[in-house]
This record gives sequence, structure tokens and C-alpha cells, in this order.
Amino acid sequence: MDLGISALNYVSSIKNGEFTVEEFTSKSLERISQVDEKLHAFLRVNDLAIKNAREIDTKIKSNQNVGKCYGMPISVKDNMCIEGSKTTCASKVLENFIAPYTSTVISKLNSEDAIIIGKTNMDEFAMGLSTEYSAYGPSRNPWNIDYVPGGSSGGSGVSVSANECIASLGSDTGGSIRNPASFCSVVGLKPTYGLVSRYGLVSYANSIEQIGPMTKTVEDSAFLLNIISGIDSNDNTTIDNKNQDYLRDIDIGVSGKKIGIVTEMTNSEGLSAEVANATNDAVKTFEKLGANCEHVSLQMVPYTVAAYYTITSTEAGSNLARYDNIRYGYEFDSSGFEFNSYISQARSKFGPEVIRRMILGGFVPSAGHAGKYFLKALKVKSKLIAEINHVFEKFDFLISPTVPIQPFKFGEKIQDPVAFMMIDFNTVTANLTGIPAISVPYKITNGLPIGIQIMANRLEEHSLLQTAYALEKTVDLPEVPV
Amino acid sequence: MKSLVTEEEISNVAKLMKIDLEDHTAHIKRVQKMLEYFDILDNANVESEEITVQETDLDKLRDDKHNPYDKNLLKFLKSYQGKYVKAPKLN
Repeated sequence: MDLGISALNYVSSIKNGEFTVEEFTSKSLERISQVDEKLHAFLRVNDLAIKNAREIDTKIKSNQNVGKCYGMPISVKDNMCIEGSKTTCASKVLENFIAPYTSTVISKLNSEDAIIIGKTNMDEFAMGLSTEYSAYGPSRNPWNIDYVPGGSSGGSGVSVSANECIASLGSDTGGSIRNPASFCSVVGLKPTYGLVSRYGLVSYANSIEQIGPMTKTVEDSAFLLNIISGIDSNDNTTIDNKNQDYLRDIDIGVSGKKIGIVTEMTNSEGLSAEVANATNDAVKTFEKLGANCEHVSLQMVPYTVAAYYTITSTEAGSNLARYDNIRYGYEFDSSGFEFNSYISQARSKFGPEVIRRMILGGFVPSAGHAGKYFLKALKVKSKLIAEINHVFEKFDFLISPTVPIQPFKFGEKIQDPVAFMMIDFNTVTANLTGIPAISVPYKITNGLPIGIQIMANRLEEHSLLQTAYALEKTVDLPEVPV
Repeated sequence: MKSLVTEEEISNVAKLMKIDLEDHTAHIKRVQKMLEYFDILDNANVESEEITVQETDLDKLRDDKHNPYDKNLLKFLKSYQGKYVKAPKLN
């Protein structure tokens, strides 16, 4: 049994009776127990997975209606709620938090007979890009365990890459799906803002974050997007996509399409030679496939990282204000404490990056500083949206490296906050403008992956996935070594 | 113009956010570095730019009606008495 099969092949194999859901789930759990001590993709594994698998097998055997997922094991980032089980956001503050309701995306997966095999590791409250800020220790890159897997959805990326499950759901505020997808050599899609419900996702920066699939193939991302997208009465920002089928005509190709190579993202100071070469190669590949590629400038891009961190810190400062340890939190007796000092003391359990973002989030929108930071960041965002709207009048897609560098060693970047932030340079544009963006595994250089990012106009996921599929089909990458 | 954000200013904001900074220096220096980087926004030439906001039409909002929640949320609280949350004393 090949645990590395795609979601679509898994469904065919189950339908053809090649193996049962229970057999595949057991093998996946075995794989997790074999490799996860080393990789630490999972914070928790679902104890009921085998029971769930047997129930789906019974449905299949008795010819009952079976959901589209046919019991495929899917992992989810630990910031999405599942009723009655822990949701920690990889924070000690939520160490014992039991969610009272289930997020919409997980309800949708459950209704299609997916098996949620476990909750994956992440940077605390999704603030980070390497999982080094998880309160439970980092995940490790299956391509080389001395290197970070990217983040913040690093556990999700590792779980898919190392064949511990078929697919995963991550969340992306500034690249948190695409960055680990690139670093772990899996496909990662950040959908248009509003295409996927955020109900039940623990909020970090509501105005720009999105849930999206992380999968082994582009087709699998289309398959999962078919399930998780669409309007939700519990999230007023959601969009009615009229049940669009993202798998339809996925192999249509890119002939005649216009692709803009974003100058600022392919010519930046921090871009490594290996990543630059891979990107040039991808552009040539698209040209061979019949697309027309030319450079295009987005003049606001150099300011996006500062704008992104200003806006997200402000929203984080507000969102994290709810963690006072009074309504929910960890065991910490309040006797002897005055109200404010109790909260301050309780918040000492936040990790260092969360503390810094809260301080920043209090500072940048405050009286006397808002004009310099927050309002200017919002203006950069507005101007960037105008630039993007203008660019998509001429181009169908934009292309760039997903991340300017390849995976780095643990501890290598974390000491320099500015260098660390700059790793988000190519990904934050899609979040600030709400457009969809996908990372496609493209190359393995020096044993480490490189992903290519393709962006499209709002709600153009269908053509975006077709383009990503065309690129993916030109690539033949080695097996993950773990 | 370079920002002149002082350690004292950052420390005051931390207090307002109800965060105890045991290791002041490590956090403050790092926040200062991030704020210094944010000075790049001064070069963006966006002073005259209008801020666009996400708008939602009123008719797209869900009905303003009470949806009963049939589960006992209180049981999820760490500390409560009757239907009240127990909190530390206010001075």
C-alpha cells in the first residue's frame, strides 16, 4: 500500500476495493508512530480514527451513500476548532482548551466522510514562519531534519510531505500555507479572502487570513477546495461561489495566457541564486507551454512587509485581548491577585513572539503613532490593491518564487527580527489584496525544496489551479527521503 | 525620518496590554528593531492615498435574530458560580 498516493487515487483505490479505509488508516497511524517522534508534525492524533474508518467501511460495504472523501485521513492545523477536543494554537495559554463547537471547514470535511487523523503543530497563534515559535517544540523538515519546515502551518506541510496523511488544512495570514508548502515540497493554496469560511478558526488577523488546502497534487487542492469553499451563514465575509467545480478542465493548459513576472519579487535583495534560477526556469517552462511571460512592476511591494506586520499586529492585539485566563485558559488560581495583575501574570504563558506582536499591536495604532504606522500601512494596502487591479487588466496571472530562500537551519534566522520578517516578502501581497495564490513544488536543489508561487485575480481559483496543474505536470521530483 | 521610539514608551504600551515583561531588554530591543524597519513606510509616498475599506451590504448580513444555543457553555468555564463567571477582585 502506497501512503504517498494522491487524494484522487486514494478515492479510486477505495472504490475499486484495493484496500479498506481501516487498512489505510491503520497504515497511516503506523507511519505517524514511526516518523513523528522525529518530525513532530502532530500535536495530537485522533484516538477515534480507526473507529471512524470502520464506520465508513460499513457504509461502503452496505452500499450506503458515502461522502466524497471515502475516509481519507486529513490532518488539520491546531487553530481550527473541533467540538469536544483540544484546540491549543500551539500555545501554553490554550493548553487545556476544549472547543465548544466545530469549525465550518471541519464540519464540511466530516460530512464528506473525511477522517480527521490529528491536529498539527504550528507557530504559536500562527505568528511565525518556521514552527520555531510553537510552545511544544518545532516540527522538522522531512527533506532534512536539521532544517525548518516553514510555517506557521509547518506541521500540516510536514504531515503531507512525509506521507503521514493524504492532505491537510492550514491557515494563511501572510504566507502560512504557501511558505511550508514550498519548504516541504507540497502544494499549498491560499484562496480568495472570503471563499472559505473562517468560522471556528481561532482569529489572529481576521481581515486577511484564510483557510486553505495543503496537498500532494494540484488536483487534490482543487478536490478539497470543492468541499470547503462557499457561503456560510456563520461567517459574513464568505462569498457564494455557486458550487463551482475547481477540478473541471484542470488540464486545459496555459496556451495564450499572459503571465506577469513580478519584478520586485524576482529581483529582491534577499533572493537566493538557487531560487532565482528555479524561478527563471519555471518562466521558461510556461513559455514553452504557450504562455506569454513578461516583467511587471508592483511598486508597493517593497513596503508590504512593514504594512503587513503593522496591520496584523494591530488585529492580533485586539484578538488576543480575550485571553485573560478568566473565561478560558489554563489552571492558575486567581486568589491573592488583583484583576489586572492576575491577567498580566496569566499572560506570562504567552511565548515571546506573541508577546512582541501584542506590544506592537498596542503601539502602532495608538494615539500619536497611528498616523506614522497604522494609517500609512492601510494606505499602502489600498494602493497595492489598486496596483493589483490594474495589473490584472493586462495579465491573467502573476508569478514569483514562493519564498526568496530555501529552508534554513533551526536558529539560523530567528535572532534577527527584520531578516525573519523579510522571508514573507513574496507572500504577503496576496493576503493584503485578498487574491488567491498557490505554491507549486518545482525543484529540489541541494536536497531542499523550492516552490513557485502563482497568483490570480480575486475568485479566479479555477484558472489558477489549471495553471498550477500545467506547471506541476512538467516536474518530476524525487521521493521525500524520510 | 528615523523613529525615536524609547524603551519607556514600549514598556508603557506593554503595561497597557497587561503584559508583564520579565525580560524587558530582549523584547524591547526586538520590538524597537521591528519599529525601525516600519520606518520604510515613510518612503511609500502614500500620504494622499484614500483608505479603502471592506464593505458588506446590509442585506448580506444574516438575520438579526436570536439563535438558541442548546449546549451548556458554562461547563467550559474554569471557574463560575451559578450563571456568573468568577473573576479576580477589582481594586
